[in-house]
Formats: sequence, structure tokens, C-alpha cells
Amino acid sequence: MIGYGLPHFPMTRASSVDDSSGVVARLIGVLGSERVHTHPLDLLVFGKDAGVTPGEAAVVVLPESTDEVAAVVRVATAAGVPVVARGAGTGLAGGAVPTSACVLVVLTRMNEIFEVDEVGRTAWVGAGLVNEALSNAVADHGLLFAPDPASQQTATIGGNVGTNAGGPHCLAEGSTIAHVLGMEVVTGDGEVMMVGGAAPDPLGYDLRGLFVGSEGTLGIVTRVLVRLVEVPPQLETMLISFVDVSDAARAVSEVIAEGVVPAALELMDGPMIEAVENFVHAGLPVGPGAVLLAEVSGHSVGVAADAALVREIAVLNGATEIRVARDEDDRALLWKGRKAAFGAIAQSAPDYYLNDTVVPRTRFVDVLDEIYAIAERYELRLLNLIHAGDGNFHPIVSYDAAEAGMTEKVIDATHEMVRAAVAAGGTLSGEHGIGIEKRDLMPEVFSADDLDAQERIRDAFDPLRLLNPGKVLPEGSRCLDRPPT
Amino acid sequence: MTWRTEHPPTTEDLNSCIDCGLCLSACPTYSITGDETASPRGRIAAMRAVDRGTVALDNRFAQIVDSCLQCLACETVCPSLVPFGTLMEGARAEVAAHRPTPTTAAKRFIFGRLIASRRALMFLSWLLVIAQRLGITGVLPGRASKAKAIRTIPIPVSATAGRQWDPQGEPIGTVGFLSGCVMDHWYSEVHVAVIDLLTRAGYRVVAPKQQTCCGAIAAHEGAAQHARRMAQRNVEAFAGFDTIIVDSAGCSAHMKDYAHWTEDGADLAGRIADANQVIAKLIADGKLPTITERRGQIAIQDPCHLRHAQGITLQPRDILRAAGYEVVETDPTGTCCGAAGAYQLSHPQVSERLGRRKAAQVAATDLDRVASANPGCEMQLLSYLGNSTTVEHPIEIYRNELNRNQEST
Amino acid sequence: MPGPAADVTRLAAATKRLFEDLSDESVEASAAWTVAPSTMEEAALVLRAAADARMPTRFYGGGTHMDYGYRGDFELVVTTSRLNRVVDWQPEDLTVVVEAGVPISTLEETIGERNQTAVLPEAFGRATVGGVVAAGLSGYRRFRYGPTRDRVLQVGLAAGYGRVIAGGGPVVKSSTGYGVPRLATGSFGSLGLVGWVMLKLWSRPRATASIQIDEAAAAASTYRPLAVLETSEGSFLYLGGDPQQVTAEIASVDGEVRSGLHWPIPISNRIRLEFRVPPRLLRQAIDWAQRVDAARWIAEHGVGRVEAGVDAIEPKAIQAARAWAETNGGALIVASTHDPEIDPWGTPPVSIEIQRRIKQAFDPFSICNPGIFPGGL
Repeated sequence: MIGYGLPHFPMTRASSVDDSSGVVARLIGVLGSERVHTHPLDLLVFGKDAGVTPGEAAVVVLPESTDEVAAVVRVATAAGVPVVARGAGTGLAGGAVPTSACVLVVLTRMNEIFEVDEVGRTAWVGAGLVNEALSNAVADHGLLFAPDPASQQTATIGGNVGTNAGGPHCLAEGSTIAHVLGMEVVTGDGEVMMVGGAAPDPLGYDLRGLFVGSEGTLGIVTRVLVRLVEVPPQLETMLISFVDVSDAARAVSEVIAEGVVPAALELMDGPMIEAVENFVHAGLPVGPGAVLLAEVSGHSVGVAADAALVREIAVLNGATEIRVARDEDDRALLWKGRKAAFGAIAQSAPDYYLNDTVVPRTRFVDVLDEIYAIAERYELRLLNLIHAGDGNFHPIVSYDAAEAGMTEKVIDATHEMVRAAVAAGGTLSGEHGIGIEKRDLMPEVFSADDLDAQERIRDAFDPLRLLNPGKVLPEGSRCLDRPPT
Repeated sequence: MTWRTEHPPTTEDLNSCIDCGLCLSACPTYSITGDETASPRGRIAAMRAVDRGTVALDNRFAQIVDSCLQCLACETVCPSLVPFGTLMEGARAEVAAHRPTPTTAAKRFIFGRLIASRRALMFLSWLLVIAQRLGITGVLPGRASKAKAIRTIPIPVSATAGRQWDPQGEPIGTVGFLSGCVMDHWYSEVHVAVIDLLTRAGYRVVAPKQQTCCGAIAAHEGAAQHARRMAQRNVEAFAGFDTIIVDSAGCSAHMKDYAHWTEDGADLAGRIADANQVIAKLIADGKLPTITERRGQIAIQDPCHLRHAQGITLQPRDILRAAGYEVVETDPTGTCCGAAGAYQLSHPQVSERLGRRKAAQVAATDLDRVASANPGCEMQLLSYLGNSTTVEHPIEIYRNELNRNQEST
Repeated sequence: MPGPAADVTRLAAATKRLFEDLSDESVEASAAWTVAPSTMEEAALVLRAAADARMPTRFYGGGTHMDYGYRGDFELVVTTSRLNRVVDWQPEDLTVVVEAGVPISTLEETIGERNQTAVLPEAFGRATVGGVVAAGLSGYRRFRYGPTRDRVLQVGLAAGYGRVIAGGGPVVKSSTGYGVPRLATGSFGSLGLVGWVMLKLWSRPRATASIQIDEAAAAASTYRPLAVLETSEGSFLYLGGDPQQVTAEIASVDGEVRSGLHWPIPISNRIRLEFRVPPRLLRQAIDWAQRVDAARWIAEHGVGRVEAGVDAIEPKAIQAARAWAETNGGALIVASTHDPEIDPWGTPPVSIEIQRRIKQAFDPFSICNPGIFPGGL
């Protein structure tokens, strides 16, 4: 057990909670009163993630085992009450935010590492285990868990599975989906089911591939069998400065076009750098322009060759300064800056809205220009944070919602940015998921038939729509002319 | 919601948090409960809800606010630079103002009045001296048994306030010195060491008589008015000094934040220097010697109010290295030991969890000496490590080694 | 759109031009019809009609892996021979959109112009992209690049209910909707016809080498080789990367070096057995293959797959080995046998009820490769 046991803060429950269905009483029967919260303040505090949309559960529960989750699901669904799974609440799309009076199942206490197989390079972990805690725990074996979303110091593996989380290093390593071999799932019936395993290519349909990225709409993942990868023997991390963000973008496109896939290629524009530097004091070049954080890894000789190529392309595209991380501490500092970037935006204005679109890398430069043009047209403050290597944009509009008409303006502008990305052959989300935020934009990238197919999948798992309802698929995605089944 | 005190959590400060959640894993209470309401983000969300009038300031709010250790580990990791400590002090004051209970009234008396009274402290300290000499601290029941981890107070009970010390060598200037409250009597060895080193380096050290407790505990416990009064008094007491040396992390952290507590506090805040900073600088500048003999290994523990509140981590290590030691790290993230002032009394269960965790980290080094620059941490470590381990202040250790060196030469 | 009352005659009429030139391509003895749609819409129309007529339908690509799964009687064969275009290759994005009927050899030749690879099975014969994706097959290089399913970014499916659908996203990284490409990969056509896919590509390493090593453990010192194979003909380490790097790696390993990648000849014995076990159990699977006197075997280190070829084997021996594999979370798959006593898949996964519901959702009349899938779906 990684956690440290379970002290409880004494709770006072509001006596006025309506529990005519008896669900709360039965949940208390399952978990005891200390792990069932119904006070309005608790419901509110748990009702939001790192995104912008708040919600409110009817009751919050903190189970500690798969059996407890199963019992909770049975109590809830038997009463027709929806169930929403939540990890650490670092999601940006509202995937864990209740859209109706539900039982919010918080999995953070299920943070055990059950088993590490150093030879097979796998580990069975609880869904509530913090991403970075896993990498720290297996570091002594020379292994790490590759998905590294910026929130990895807080985000749970279960949440990573729910959103198919990415991160800078998924450029070469692939997103969470490439690192999940199996899982234990509580189905909508409250049954416990094993999916996949350490053996390759499990028989039947690849349900792992459906659960990963399904945001808790197909079942609640309680334990995960993850793939671990070797810590690369050699790393070279470079911070490359450009006068113009388009130059940086062009350099990225050329690196990829050369067939070199670095471990990471991250781009930050001037406003973003300034916010980050205020926090990390890493000596980032504050001012106009952009920086590219590039990392190559692997065999020492190959790393030197790839790093040289990256530098050469950068210089040809107008790089003004290349700073190579001197040691592990310097490298950690550069990465700390990148990973804190999202959080740092609050320094400029109280509210923000960000996108997660991905475009083909051949269209990267055009779309970036277009995004700036849109922000300029709407007179909005834009900070750009880009997983440049795989064309994954996080344009962040920073604003003050208290200004009249501002929120509407921001929504219009960001939707225009999404449409620009889609028109260039892109998609809505690279790593944050759809949740509530992007749900109604799904018809921008999927036809009615495509969405209907996804509804069919959902039906196969959750015909009553009690698992995280109102997420991923927009209302009315079922085709009306669907033949009877 | 109408807040009732002068310095409630402000809407602006509350809005500076965008809920990114990066603070969660740094928070000791979240890490052991997995409960959002026991996290910095959750506490801010609760304050915001009250600020917006969405929910009332009730018992549940008070619990959420009280569950915080105020270790400020969240500030260290916050990319949005949210002033969490200020928000929490504001929320505590509001809880105290809204819900006067016997406990809060008692806390206000102890941390707001008693602690600021030199005579009361001296009297208390003598009581403790007597208890220690009679050996009765060891049999104190329950929570009070912690008292046995307090250092044996030397007789006569010393006090620094109102005294001054001349430089031992070439004079290089005058500094003010914060005597503090319990520190002055209970941990006088640290004062003695700091003052000795400062005078050796050539400083005249002055501890003005009219100074008082820094007010940190009053602020943490929601006794905002008392905190403000104490800050004001210290601003006056230290008016004539360019630098004021403070050798307790909790005090130096709080005084650097005086701008928040009194109108003309910013000026004093800018002149506050933690003793670790000053001594490390004097060593680096060659004004204090570096011992070249090897003294072996020593484990180190960072007080939250040094590490998280002030970002001071290098200096205590530099001082220990100058004392001839190889410093062994115990906790890469610097998680709170659970002492947290009065917290150990109000939340013994959580405090014990954290204390045991910290003790296990120290024990893992297999060393029986630990350096910790804060009395609260020292007591907590001793409580869970047992008698075979000694805990000392880095500056004390350095000075002892200097003396040892001089005796042998 | 055909109504529910459509029959075989309507199917024939609707797909008249699909029959041309296919008389020699009868691939399923029992099938009365063989059709070759050239668009997704045609494929969907065929399936719509087949659904109305309740005609069991077999999908056919290169015909190289028709030996997987349960046997069945099929009335209609849909081949992908006319879905044979490399639709959109974006070398600078390292992606390609390719129709199902394109042979792997053709695809590799096309993208080889810019030194790229789709990392599909190396010994492809006549195998097509669609067939390999539908069968969920990966090449030996999965050791470094991951399995094929990691690279199927998007899929176009003519679903068993007669509609054209696309799933996934046309980019290298997506968290947009359910993982339909993952669902389709390895579905053996049981949900519909995999008509096209978008694949993520990799640059071919600038230098490659194959080293015959004494034992596979000798490969442990290399960082992410392309593959480590232990076979009945010896153990091999496959390296790829920057030329200087490969030279350095060769110097650190003892063995006979050949430049380039020399993969084992595919196993072609009458019965093919395929262990899929956790990688740490690979040794036991190899031991078993040697114990049953397998004519040939190929084991993939770090993957957990052992393929063995035998000309005859006792069903009891298979049962015992399968029980061992399944107990350890794996499987033993038997291909190329016509012995009705031998179950090709073994015990279906515990999620079989949900698998059945998925099949039902996409193929409500059970006409798409019915019965061949694990669990008899």
C-alpha cells in the first residue's frame, strides 16, 4: 500500500439531505458514514475538475476496493441513480463532472501498487494511484510509466485511462492506450470483469481499446495492468529559442518530415513563456518569439546524431539560441516549466478556456497562423502551449468572465479555432477527452452514422445510460432509422 | 457572504486559483486521505463558495479550514502563485469571528495574549522546568505527553529580549534580533549559538526590549487582531535596524509577510533575514570558518516554513557541510512532519500519521542524528523517533563543531 | 434503400457489376456468390442486402490467414480486391490512408520511396492491409514499435447493419470518442468489412543488422532492438538505427552479423499453434514446443508469442498446454486444422457477454463471418 492508511476528518452531515430513495442510507451501509459525503459543501467541492464547468453530485463516496465499488454501483443503479467515476479531478473537459444528481465515486484511495513484474515490465496498480508515483516507485528497476500528462504529479492512472491521456513523451511512446495491457472493471451491472492481460493480443474484441478513453461511460476501471518502459540510457534535452513562433513551428514540421521522431517536441509562445518563467525561474527567454523544448533519447550514439539533426534544422529555421540541459537537475527544471505551464496562466487573468485540437503535422504551421489570426480578430489574449511533434494544440484564451459579453466572445472564438483545426483535417481532442466541454462539437468530426456506431457500443455496455451520462456523445446520437435489434 | 473581519480571503486571491490541481499531491492531508476537501484546491473551493454566498459558513466549512496544516507545500508547487497561506489565515480568522467556541476563545487567549506576555511566558517556562526536573513530563497523559519532547530547559531560564552583545572581532555592523516567544526560553541554545556566531563574525546584536511575539501562531489560529497588534509593535521595535535576524522558521516566514498584517509592515518585511540565510552567507563570504575535518553523515529535515514559505533549502545544508558533515536527504518533497504548531493537538490522528511517515523516512537513513531548523519539527521527530536519535538545529551543530575544533587546537 | 423484404435476387441486382471477372476467384467452396465492391458504399449495400437475405458472408483479402477460427458455411464472399488504392500518403505527417485490399507488399513499396514503413508483418506473402488489421496481426518489430493496433489511427467499416462508418481520428494522437479502430483491429470481420484504415508510419532505420546470437539473453544489453527472436533455427537479434549506433551495438554483442533484416521463413506446417502468454512465461512455451517435437517454432522475446508448426498432434497435448496458457492469462490458438475435435480458440474471454452484445450491435443478423470468432460469435 502506497497510501498511509485512512484517518478521517470528522464530518457533520447536513440533516436535510433528501434520501427518499434510501440510496445514501444503503451507501453508508456499504462504506460506513465516514466515506459517504452529502454535505452541500462537499458536493460542491467534489463537483468540479480542472476544467471550467461545475457540477454537483447527490452524494460522494470514497471506496477502497473493487468490491466496494461494485457494491456502490449495485446500490446506485438498482435505484436508477447514475454513477460517475472521479480520480484526482485534473481533467480539463469535465469528464468527471456530474451532469445530474449522481453517486460520485472517488477512486483516489485505491492507490496501491499490487505487483511489479520487472522482467515482463508490467505492473498492476489501483486506479487511484498517482501517475508520477508509479514512475517513482519503479525507477529503481530502471523503468517508468511513459504517459506523462502535465498533471502527472496529481492525476491518477485511472483518470489517464479514462481520457487516454497523453503528455509530451507520447510523441514517441504513444498515449495511455499504448501502455495499458489489462484492467479490472466494474460494469454497469455492478459485476467485476477482467479485460486483457499481460499476454499479447487477447482473444475476442479489444475491450481495453474501448475502455481507454471512454471517460467512465462503459464501466468503472478499478485496477490497471500497465506496461512499463525502460528508462532511456541517454537523453538530450534542448531549449531552442526562436524570434517567431512560425519559425519554430516550421522547424518542428521539418524534423518530423525528416523521419526523426524525438522523445518530445514542445512549443511555447512568448506570453506562455513569460507566465511560466514567473514560476520556475529557469532562465527562459522572456519576450516575443517562442521556445521549442526538444528531447531525444535512446542509444548514446543515436541520440547524438538525432540531436545534431534537430539543432541543424532549428538553425536553418532561424533559431537564435540553443541551450542544452547540462545535467538531470537542469533537465528537470526545463520540464518543470513546461509541466507547470497550464497552471501558470492564472497569473494573467482569472478565467481561461483552452482547446485540445490535433491537426496533421503537414498543416501545423497554417493552423497556428490561423489561430493567432482568430485571437487577434476577437481581440483576445492568447497563450500557446503546443505538443508540436504530434500537432496537438492547446491554445489558451485568458480572460475575465466578469467583463460583459466576454464569455460568449471567448466561446465563439475558441469554436472558430476548433473549426479551423477540423477544416485542416484535424480532430477535437488529442488527450483531454470530450467530456462535457467538447461533446456538442462531436458532429464537427463524426457523421450521424459514425456517432450512431458509438452509441451502439455504449448500448452494449450501458443500455440504461447510468454510467457517466451526458458525456462524450451528444444527445440524440442514436439514429432514428436504426433497424430493430 | 459578508465576511466579518478586516482581512478575509479576497475574491481576487480566490480567483487566482484556476483549479489545475497540481497542489493536491504536495498536500500532506490530501496525500493521506485522498479527499478533495482536505486539499488546497478543495479548501479554496470551499472559501470561494462562502465568498460567493453559495453556502453558509458553517461547521463543515470550519472543519475543512481547520484540517489544513498551513505547511504551505502547496505554495511551492503552485504555478499560479496563489497566496494560499494568506487565504487560509483569512479563513481561520473568519471562522473564529463567526463561530466563537470555547476552543477558539481559549486559542485566542493563549496565542493572542499569553504568548505576547513576557512575564506569563517566563512563569510558564519555570513551571515546565520544574516538571522536567521532577520527571513528570514523561507521565503526562494523552496529547500533553508531547511535552516530554521539549528540550530540557537550562536553569536559570534565560531571556534575550532587552539585551545586546558586542562584536567579538572587527565590527562590521549592527543587527536586530527577534527573541520570540517560547523560543527565548525553551530553545535558548539556538539563540545562544546564533548570537555567538553573529558576534564572532563582527556584528553587534541587539534584541530590543519592546519587541514581542511575531504573531505567526495568532495569525494561523485565526486571532487576526492580535496578530496585527503584534506586527505593529514589532514594526516599531525594530525601526532602527537594517537587518533583523530571526532564527525560527515560522517567525521569519511570518515576518516576511508583515505587509499583509500592518500598513507599514512591508518595510520591516524587507529587512527580515532568516538566521540560516545569514550564517550561510557569512560562511560563504569567509567571515565564519569552514571545518575541513570530516564529521560523518547527518540526516536533514526541512521545516515547512523554511522550505515552502521561504524557499530556503540550500542554506541549512551549506551550514552543515561547513560543519564537516555529509548531508543525507530524508524526504525529496519536503512533506510536513505533522507538528504544525497547535495542529498536533487539534488533529492528533493526522499529525501522528505524518509524524510516523517522517520518522520512517529518517529511520530509513540509519542515522541517529538529524538536523532540523525548527523546534516544532524537533519535538515531532523526537516523539516518533525515540530517544536514540538526537535532533539539533543546523546552526547549533555548526557552532558546536567550531567550539570542538577550537578546543582541540 | 432496400427494405426488409429484399431477397437474394435483389442482392444480385444491386451488385451486378461486382461479379465481373471473379469467376476464377472462388475462395470459399460453399459460397454461391463472390462480390468485389470498389467503394465503401457498395460494400455497405452488399451487406445491407446480405443482412436482409440473412446470408452468411465471408470477407476475403489476400487469403493468407483464412485458417484462424471456427469453420462455417458461407453463402457470400466479399473480397477486397477492388478496394486497392493507397488513398492518401502524407510522408511529412508519417501517415497513410490505405484501402483494405492493398497488399502489404504494395504499401511498403509505395512508402518505401521515402524510406517509411507501416511496421506490418514482415513475412506478408499475399496478405493485405485489411486482412492483417482485421486479424489483428503484428510484425516482429512490435518489440520496438508496439503492435499494429497502436498504429491504426482511423478505420472505415462497412458495418454488418449496412452503413458506412468511420471511427478514430485522422491524426497521430486522438482522444475523441470511442476507440473504434481498436475494436475493429482483430475483429476478424465479425462486425463488418474493414474497408480502409489510416496508419501511423515510422521511418525505416538508416541502418539495420541481424545478428545470430548464442542465446536470446545476450540481447538484454541492447536498448530497444527491433526484435529478439528465438527459433528452432537459432536466436536472432535485430538492430536498427543510426549507422554509427548500429555499428556500436554490433560491437557489444557476440554473434554472426548480417547486414539488413533477415526474418525467419514463415511457418507452413499443416497445423500452426500460437501461444500468447505473458512474456515472462516464454521459456515454458518454448519448452513445450520442443517437447511436442514441433517441426519449427519462432518465439518473440518481450512479446510473449510463440508460433510452432507441427504436422500432427494429439488433441490431449493441446488441451494440457492450453489449460496452462489460460491459467496464466494467455491463450493457445490452433490454426490450419480441420480436426473438429480441436477447438481453434479455446475458452472465450470472461467478457464474452459484452462481446456478444457488441457483435449484436454491429451485426444484428449475424451475417459477418458468423461463428468464426472466439466464443463462436
